[in-house]
Amino acid sequence: MRAFRSLSGSELRLLFRDPGSLFFMVAFPAMLLVLNSGSDDLEIFVPGYLAMILAIGGIATLPAVMGTYRERKVLRRLATTPVSPLVLLTGQIAAQLVMGLAGAVIVGGVAVLGFGVAPPAHPAALALAFVLSALMCYAIGFVIAAVAPRARTAELIGLLVMFPMIFLAGAAIPREGLAGELREMGEYLPLTQAVTALRDSWAGTPSITTFLLISGIIILGTALAVALFRWE
Amino acid sequence: MTVIEVEDLSKSYGDTRAVDGVTFAVKRGETFGVLGHNGAGKTTTVECLVGLRRPDRGRVRVLGEDPARRRRAVARRMGVQLQEGELPDRMRVAEAMRVFATLYDRPGDWREVMERWDLGHLGGKAYGDLSGGQKQRLKLALALVGGPELVVLDELTTGLDPVARRETWTLIGDLKASGTTVVLVSHFMDEAEELCDRVAVFRRGRIAALGTPRELTGRTGTGSLEEAYLALAEERR
Ligand SMILES: Nc1ncnc2c1ncn2[C@@H]1O[C@H](COP(=O)(O)OP(=O)(O)OP(=O)(O)O)[C@@H](O)[C@H]1O
Ligand SMILES: [Mg+2]
Repeated sequence: MRAFRSLSGSELRLLFRDPGSLFFMVAFPAMLLVLNSGSDDLEIFVPGYLAMILAIGGIATLPAVMGTYRERKVLRRLATTPVSPLVLLTGQIAAQLVMGLAGAVIVGGVAVLGFGVAPPAHPAALALAFVLSALMCYAIGFVIAAVAPRARTAELIGLLVMFPMIFLAGAAIPREGLAGELREMGEYLPLTQAVTALRDSWAGTPSITTFLLISGIIILGTALAVALFRWE
Repeated sequence: MTVIEVEDLSKSYGDTRAVDGVTFAVKRGETFGVLGHNGAGKTTTVECLVGLRRPDRGRVRVLGEDPARRRRAVARRMGVQLQEGELPDRMRVAEAMRVFATLYDRPGDWREVMERWDLGHLGGKAYGDLSGGQKQRLKLALALVGGPELVVLDELTTGLDPVARRETWTLIGDLKASGTTVVLVSHFMDEAEELCDRVAVFRRGRIAALGTPRELTGRTGTGSLEEAYLALAEERR
């Protein structure tokens, strides 16, 4: 437990020290919110931003970090200490989750307190949707980290998967604004389910099907990541 | 008592026979040197000792355990400095020391270890901003922060300035005095002669000579371990 606390704390501090993740997970979503603050249906935008924060952290940052740790033999060094691989990986996930939560609280807070967006209709469902969406993004991130041969490739694949996904899934901009075919493509993206779950929980009726779908993707992704993962 | 037992250890990477039938043992409290040319198989041997690699053949016992199967049990009592193996660039020195200490059951006082390795004034500095020698000192300190019975150091003083090198010798001497078993890989014969009770000279994956530095100089009829090493390197070219 002590090892988990100190490792996740240290990972979190590293994330906060990285100007890139600080900007994209905390400042950038808040900026988008301010830019769109004139819109009447901000409560559609805001849950999307939450999904976007999680996708940036889980699908882009996480594989880049893991890829770097593997390439620079940080993982091997840790493998010569008594720490268990599980503690190492959950520490990484916990740090991402806290970072994502920080971004989400800022965006949500500014939206509700600053721009008069109605607070979440189903807070418990929203919390669950947030955690599940986060785990889904991390599972995807770990799969990318596992298949990428080098740190740079992990970073690149992460960006190549994350960027189209946040636009097509309706995270960065609502899918209602997309042309027919692009909107169609979004149907098949995992992140779309996250956006749906978050939106329904914030202002709508959460559907159990969406939550089950996300859970299914988490299980599938985790199994794949476990099967493919390499320490070096 | 024997802390490390290696019997007929072999390890290949594809067609490369990195280690080819190596046998040696290290007693408790002993300082054991692993010497040899680049690519001789020193790091591969060390990595088998610490559980990072599974031998193709042979038997390895460290502190009574098979490190390939019981890596964590061995790791609790062992400190390791790898030849390669970095830290995240933005991690700070004191932070690394503290985090590594929390990974062990009965760690030493990490602040004290940091002071002893002359890292006290660098506590707030990021790993990526350290000089090569400062990084090396941090890696050595991290190998000791868990209060190990056995330390395995791959390239002890590579990258250290002459003063830091001597200071490191003193610190290894302190470790010896406290009864810690030390395995060190080195390319510096003066260092091995000064510190090691016994040395193994590796050549192309095998042990070409094994004994006390004095035995090796005697056997080769030379005046120092450095000359003995060079004489051994000349043999069977
Ligand atoms: N991961 C690897 N994949 C393939 N070959 C390897 C690998 N690691 C080492 N080798 C090869 O195995 C042999 C022994 O390497 P090793 O790293 O054990 O040597 P070393 O004695 O530590 O050398 P140095 O003094 O240069 O550190 C070399 O021929 C090397 O090229
Ligand atoms: Mg080596």
